[in-house]
This record gives sequence, C-alpha cells and structure tokens, in this order.
Amino acid sequence: MAPQQQPEKRFYEVGRRRHEITLMPDGTEVWRRGRVPLTKRHWLAWRGVSNPKSLRRERRLLDKRPLWWTIGLGGLLVATPFLSDQAINIAAIFCIFSAINVIWTLIIGTAGIFSLATMAVVGMSGYAAAAANVYLGVPWPLMMPVGALVGLVLGGFLALPSTRLDGLYYALLTLGVAEICRVFVSQIKALAPANGSINQVDSFIPADWLLQRPGLLLGFFAAFALLLAALLVFRLINSERLGLLLQAAREDEAFSEATGIDYRRARLWVFVLSSGALGAIGAFYVMFYRSISLAVFSLDQLLLLFAMIVIGGLGRSEGAVIGTAIVVLIDKGMLDLGPLRIIIVTAVMIGVALTAHNGLTGVRAQFRNFRNRKKSERRAARTEKGGEVMPEEATEIADKQQVYYRLFDKRIRDRLKAQITPELIAEHKAKPLGQHSDALDRVLNYFRRGEMPDKYAILRVGEYTSSTYKVLAFSGRPGHPPRVVDDKLYATMDEAYHAVFLLRVNDLLAS
Amino acid sequence: MDAGLIVYALYLAAIYGLMAIGISLLWSSVGMVNMAHGATFAFAGYAAYFAAIWAGPLAKDWLGATGWSQPALAVFIGLVAICAGALFGVVIYLVAYLTIHDKQNFPVRSLIITLALNLATVQMLLWAFGPQQKALPRVFGVGRFDWLGMSIRVDQVVTIVATTLLLGTVLVWLRHSRRGLEIRAVMQNAEGAALCGISSRKTALPIMMLTGALAGLAAVLLSQNVFVSPTAGVTPLIKGLTIALLGGLGSVPGAVAGAVLIGFIEAATGAIPFLGQRYVLFVQFTFIVCVLLIRPRGLGGLLDETRE
Amino acid sequence: MSGKLLNIQGLSAGYGPLRVLHEIDFSVAAGERLAIVGLNGHGKTTLFRAIMHLVGWQQGSIVFDGTEIGGTRSLGEGRRTPGIVRLGVAMTPQGDAIFPGLTVKQHLDCGAYTKAAWRDRALRRDHVYDIFPQLKEREQAYVGKLSGGERRMVSVGRALMADAKLYLIDEPSLGLAPRISQRVVDALIDIGLDGRAMVIAEQNVALLTGKVDRMIGMHAGHLRGDVGHVDLL
Repeated sequence: MAPQQQPEKRFYEVGRRRHEITLMPDGTEVWRRGRVPLTKRHWLAWRGVSNPKSLRRERRLLDKRPLWWTIGLGGLLVATPFLSDQAINIAAIFCIFSAINVIWTLIIGTAGIFSLATMAVVGMSGYAAAAANVYLGVPWPLMMPVGALVGLVLGGFLALPSTRLDGLYYALLTLGVAEICRVFVSQIKALAPANGSINQVDSFIPADWLLQRPGLLLGFFAAFALLLAALLVFRLINSERLGLLLQAAREDEAFSEATGIDYRRARLWVFVLSSGALGAIGAFYVMFYRSISLAVFSLDQLLLLFAMIVIGGLGRSEGAVIGTAIVVLIDKGMLDLGPLRIIIVTAVMIGVALTAHNGLTGVRAQFRNFRNRKKSERRAARTEKGGEVMPEEATEIADKQQVYYRLFDKRIRDRLKAQITPELIAEHKAKPLGQHSDALDRVLNYFRRGEMPDKYAILRVGEYTSSTYKVLAFSGRPGHPPRVVDDKLYATMDEAYHAVFLLRVNDLLAS
Repeated sequence: MDAGLIVYALYLAAIYGLMAIGISLLWSSVGMVNMAHGATFAFAGYAAYFAAIWAGPLAKDWLGATGWSQPALAVFIGLVAICAGALFGVVIYLVAYLTIHDKQNFPVRSLIITLALNLATVQMLLWAFGPQQKALPRVFGVGRFDWLGMSIRVDQVVTIVATTLLLGTVLVWLRHSRRGLEIRAVMQNAEGAALCGISSRKTALPIMMLTGALAGLAAVLLSQNVFVSPTAGVTPLIKGLTIALLGGLGSVPGAVAGAVLIGFIEAATGAIPFLGQRYVLFVQFTFIVCVLLIRPRGLGGLLDETRE
Repeated sequence: MSGKLLNIQGLSAGYGPLRVLHEIDFSVAAGERLAIVGLNGHGKTTLFRAIMHLVGWQQGSIVFDGTEIGGTRSLGEGRRTPGIVRLGVAMTPQGDAIFPGLTVKQHLDCGAYTKAAWRDRALRRDHVYDIFPQLKEREQAYVGKLSGGERRMVSVGRALMADAKLYLIDEPSLGLAPRISQRVVDALIDIGLDGRAMVIAEQNVALLTGKVDRMIGMHAGHLRGDVGHVDLL
C-alpha cells in the first residue's frame, strides 16, 4: 500500500474548552517551574494533565488573572509617560484611589466587616503625618510610617465594636465616624489654623518640580508603586494564612470554629493591618497633594469611593481597580461636563446594580451560572427518567463506559417492560420461589443485579412463631436506615416476596 | 431647662421621627435600607417651595380678607409636599425594588441603587435650581405665645401637633387595617403571604409611598427652620438613619423613642454654652455609639425583651 | 374539559437539573375529594407547588376552571402565585408557612385576603372555629408560640378561610402525633364540599383509606391510577 495515497490527517477542534491556553511539552522533558523568590509559590498556575484522546501530555494555565494584571498594569505604566500632563495626573489619582480601594476591599471582602470609615482613617493619618512634618519637623521619608502607625491605632479603636455589632449597624455607624473626625480636626485650632487645612507639606517631589512634567511623572511612578504595594498587601493577607482562615469561616462559621479557627480574631487582625495600610496611603496622599483639607472627610468623597468598589464588585481586588478606573475616568476625565459627571457615575452604578449580582467582575460567573441553569433545566425537561444519555451530557461524563452502560440498560428495560403481563405476575404470585418461565426468570435476573438504592427488604414484625412482614425500601446511602414503604402487613413470607416483586415491577414500568 | 427648650426638643424629635420611622418601616417590611430618603426630602422641599410661590398670591387674593389664607396655604403646601414625597417613593419603588426584589443579593443591591438615586437627585437639583437656598414662607404661624410664663414658638407647637396626629393615624392604620395586616404578613413570610394571595410587589408600593410621604411632610415642617437646598436632605437622612439604628432597625416604637432622645440631646447640646451647635452631630454620634456598644440591637431590642 | 375543575396535561417540573414530575396528566372534578399518596420525595409536594408556580421550572398545561395557569414559566418563582390564589386555589404548604408574629385571628384573616372574602371574614372565622374549636380559645395567641398540632390547624384553617374552589392540602399529618394527625384529617374529611374540590397529599395511606372519593398513587414523578401495590394492574 502506497503511503502517499493516505488522506492527509486533519484534526478538528472539539470540546468545550478550546480557548484554554494549553502547552504541549515533550513527554520526556523534566518539568521546571519558576518560584517566587523566598517563597514556595509559583508564578503561574500551570497544571499538568494527560489528554485522554490524544494520549499526550498537556500543560494548562488554570488561572489567567496574573496575565490580565500584567497586561493592564504594564500597559498603564508604559503608556502614561507619553500622555498629556492632565492625563498623567489622572493616572496618578487613579493609582492612589485604586490603592485605597484595594485595601478597602480587604476589609469588606476578606474580613467581612462592612466599614465605611475608610476615608476617615485615610484623612486622620494624613493629618497626623502632615502635622508631624510641618510642626515637628519629621522628614518626609518618615511620614508614611507615622501615617501607618496612626492608622493602626485608629484601626484598633474602630475594630472594637465590629465584633459586637451587626453588619448593617456597623456600616451606618462608621458613616458617622467621618463626621466625628471632621469636627475633631476642625476644632483643634493648633493643628489646622487655615480653615482646617494644612499646607506646605514636604514631599518626595522636589519643590521646584511642582506641577512640572518631571514632577508629575515622579508622582505617577510613586503612585504606581503605591498601587503595587497595596496589591502585594492584598495578596499577602487575602491568599495567605489569615485569608484562608477567613475563607473557611465564610464557608461555615460554626464548623471552622469547631476546628479551632478563631475567625473573629483573624477578622480583627485583617482590619487592623488594613487600617495601617490605609494610614500609610493617607500619608502618601498628603505628600502627593502637599496639603490636606477637611474635604477628605466629606460624604461625597466617600460615596464616590463606594461607587468605585460597587461598580467593580465587592470583595475582589480586580473589581476595585476596574471600578476605580471607570469612575476616575468619568469624574476626572470629563471635567468640562460639570455636575453631569456625577449623574453619569450614578447611572453606571444603577445600571450595574440592576443587572449584575455582584459588580462587573461578577458578570462572568453570573452569566455562566445562568447558562448552566438554563441548560440543565432544558436537559432535565427532555430526559426520560433513567433514560439514555443526552449528547451534551455525554461530553461531561469522563468515563464513556457509563454512557454505553446506560444505553444498554435502557434497552434491556424496554424489552423487559414488554414482557410484563398479568400472567407473568400471576405466575410469580403463585410461586415466588422456584422454577419459573423464561420471561419471569429474565425479569427476576434483571432485578437481582439492580443497585442497592433500587432494592427492598422484608422486615419481620412480632414474634417468630406468629410473624407478619413489612416491606422496607433501602435508602441507598450508608448510615441512613431503610424506611417503611407503607403500613401494609403480610401474613406470609411469600406474600411479602410478591409485594417486593410488584414494587420492583412498578419501579421498572415507571422508569 | 425651660419650656422653650423642651418644645424645641419635641419639635426636632417630631421631624427626625418622621424620617426615622420611614426608614425603619421600609426596612422591616420590604427589607431595604432606603438611602434615597434624603433625596425624597429635598425633592419634596422643592415641590413645596414652588407650590408656595404659585399658591401664595392666590391664597392672599381669595382668602386674604378672612384671615384663613395662612392656614389654607399651609395645608396646601403640606399636601403638595406629601404628594411629591409619595411620587418619589413610586420612583424608588420602580427603580430599586420592582426590578430586583426577588433576585440575589437584594439588600446590598437596593442599598447601592438608592444611594445612587440619592446622589443623582442631589446633582440634578443642583443642576436645575443651583446651589442657592430657598426659603419657604412661614405658613405655620409666627411669633410666640406665653404659657406658664414661658414663651413658646407657635410654628413648633403646630409641627409637633401635626406630626403626632399624622404619625398616630398612620400607626393605628398599620395596626388595624387590611393593608397593615398584609404588610406584616409579607414581612414575616413572603411565600406564605403569596399563598394567601398577597403579592409582595403590590404590598411594597403603598409602603414606599407612605414612607415617601412622611419624608415629604418632614421636609415642609423642617423647612420652617432650615432653607430648601439640593443638599438639604443629607443631614435629615443621616439623622434618620442613625435614629433608626438607635431604635433598632425595624422597630417603630424604638424609632420613636430614639427620635425623642436625639431631639432632646440636640436641643440640650445647642443650649449648653461651651458645646454649641457645632458639636451637635459629634455628641449625637458619640451617644449612639455608646448605646449601640451596650445594646447592639438598639433600643428596639430593649423594648422587645421587656415585652417577652 | 367541561365538568373538570382542574385539568393538568403533560406537566413536567423540577428544580435545576433535577426533574421531579414526568409528564403528568391529572384532573379533578368539582365536588371531589381525592388523595394523592406516595412516599417522600416522589413529587407530591412538587405537583402542588407546580400548580402554584412555586417550583424552579415547569412546563405543560394546567387549566383551572377554564383558565390556563400553566405553561413555561419565565418570571421568577412565586410571582404568579397571588394571581392563582385569587382565581380560587388555596394551598396549605408542607410544614406550615406561618407568620410567627401574628395572632391566630390575624392569621386566619390573612387567609380571607381576597376582597370578597374579607367582607365576611368574621363569619368565615366562626366557621373555622367550628371545625377546630381549639383555635377559638387561643384566638389572641401568637402563632409562633402554638404547638405543632395547633399550627397545622391554623395552617389548614387559613386555607379554608379563602374563597376557594380547590383546596390543596399538603401532608396534613407530617410531624404530628398519630392521634392529632387523625383529628386533623378527620376535620378535613368532615368539611362539606358542595361543588368545591379538595386534594390531600399524604404518605400515610392508612389515615385516608376509605374516606376519600379517589386515591391516586404517586411514584417517582408519575401518577399511578390507583394505590396499593397488590392490585397494581
């Protein structure tokens, strides 16, 4: 046979996950994975699988989010230096607000404490850092530690009532904290003589670069570094020990407590640490603007921040960043629109809240849920009970033997159903045990090799000598006792046998 | 403490009570925190302002001679504000309730939507009418009268009486009417209510209108002291929310008690020389924080327990 | 279709991927009292809930008193339920959907929520008190504090308050002591129907044997013409 006459081999892409990033490494190659320095973590979540069809080794990327992060943040970093002065400023503001929101997400999502005191913490530590610099002469590199320290202390105070109060109560209560802070700051005349604001704060941007392009760029790069640091803090808290403890608590509070997880303490820790981070951001905020005013504590500012995390989706870092991008673009990017900006922001907010269960980042999961639900409903409406496997279901069953077994079983049942006649039942009634006709034997044989959940048992009631019988149905689950089918009592064993037989016939016809 | 102060405290309590009861009632029956309550307040305030401008000269023309022009105007303005509040309640119902009430995550999503509505309304009012403050005519009476040797402002007394009457009527109505029964049924078991033929969607509409109307009334009453402006709703909203919290969300008696307490604290703080008006919010929040730390479920929880 | 109060054809229903009812055909004539018996988990409750539009998904025709109330449901669960109740179907759900903070009296009033029934609710209440005299004594008690049997009576009584043509009673004996469940069932049997119909779902066959007009077995999502496995065919 001439080899050139063979038709060219063609492969069609089949299956439901063609879009997945899949590598086909050589089977003999040793798998080396890069690790993050000083940790045991890998950079990317590659998983090795063997493809049952091609019998080849494959490597699949489970979590593609690191790629998206790199593309998004890398693009921002590369593109910003080429933008206009105003756009650079917007990018820097985006980075600062993103950092705040990422940390806030940590409090709301990871710790599960619905705190609205974010801006209060940021503002108070900003004031403290500014005052330390202006009045005490603390040099600017030390301002962030000062801010972080104040944030930690504030966080400690704020965390106290969080365990006692309900989520909603705590949220509305923390709304008031900003107001208390505002009054507090405005009343200390020594702190802020000029209308409650502190100006002329030292900064990492040299004074003569102020509002110049190099100064703006430096500000942006610093803010970008701040965002990266915030994301690192998020990663370290959310996905390491504390985050895992809290995740366990979210799944099942009572059980995690029973296994020795003190989730309340973990919550407080996350809250206090995040407050410290917010304090550091507050100090950065002061350095970036070189001043701070009472506007930090205003309700509008807080609501704008809230809009950001709500649009992106509560509880996810990517949601915080995406939401911030959208709102900052609308709010700072379209300055000439005036008050219409806020109306657009609220329209986006309403639109997102009306359509998405949990912000923009939840849309994908929501759509999948919806599709799966509809699919399973349609499939369920079409399947016969115990029938053969539907094509789309077959793609989900890994062991194809199951598919063929169910097909086979269905055929047998169809054939047996045709053989069940009143005569057959009469024959069994006359003689439940012993030699039977061919048809009855086939039926009984089929029954015998049924699975446990389909079977019945006979229970003797009363004395051994004058006994009556009841029929039980097996639950099919280990540890769950059989249940009584009904209250009917059978005088002899044979009658009970026949009752079980009729039940099985009933099940067979019903299937 | 003199009687003027007590009347002033009761006056504040009446207005805050109107807001807080609206919020509390909505939370207990519909299960949403209405952050757009402040917007309702501002919207109704503007409606009342324009009604006063339009109807003021008319009332003077027709009834000026009889001396009834002021009371008639007051009733008319009040009605307009109540209608405007109810109308805004319908808007909130359509946007924030009807669309998502049986979907996932309803409490959080409705909170977000009402918050957005609040922001949007404030901005739109700002856009349409500018940031200037508008003053309503003093239709609820001016001047003071002496009672037991103490001078008391007339408008405050009128406010207290009107609010008490209206709130009393509403609460009695909720307690004894078919609608009230329906509201409580939905609140306790929505599926059971559906099986009785009570539609939770049809029940939510009147309660939203009712709470909106209460906010509208509060707007007119408070506008005698405070000017109408786009952001006028923020303070009443925050006070209403915190009082609802203090009373224990969902508890109407708790909200009434909280409103009276907060009214007295505000009046007292304003009167104490070294504290003054600037510290009013500060003192209130501190008080509420302390109460909630001792009783995490608010005053309502206290009342519930004593009843058991 | 004339003469039939409720006519169900090809009704399938389920929750998500689980299909509970398989192409059910079923009809109830006016003035009939019938029982659906079968084990737990075989679809009795789902059948009732599908009639009230309270299941995850459903398809098939349900004609009640000449009005089509079935069909594929596109709206959320329970949105159409009040409308169906107003047409004249009253259901007592499994395990008592009660309002714990209402008194017995208010609870019964809730049952008479339709405008026509509301007007003579006092009359209807007395009627229910005749059936369950125990409730009369506890008229002002909160339902949340009643015993299980009393709650069941309130739950059944609430359905009886309605101006209904069809009563669906789901598991009247569930979780009750045998003596009390017998009393509840007897009360149900004693109610005069005159033109209305009643369907009782029950897993304890012995409670109802010989007391209802018709008994239908339910097994694995299918209806079996008559109950008891001995006279199957």
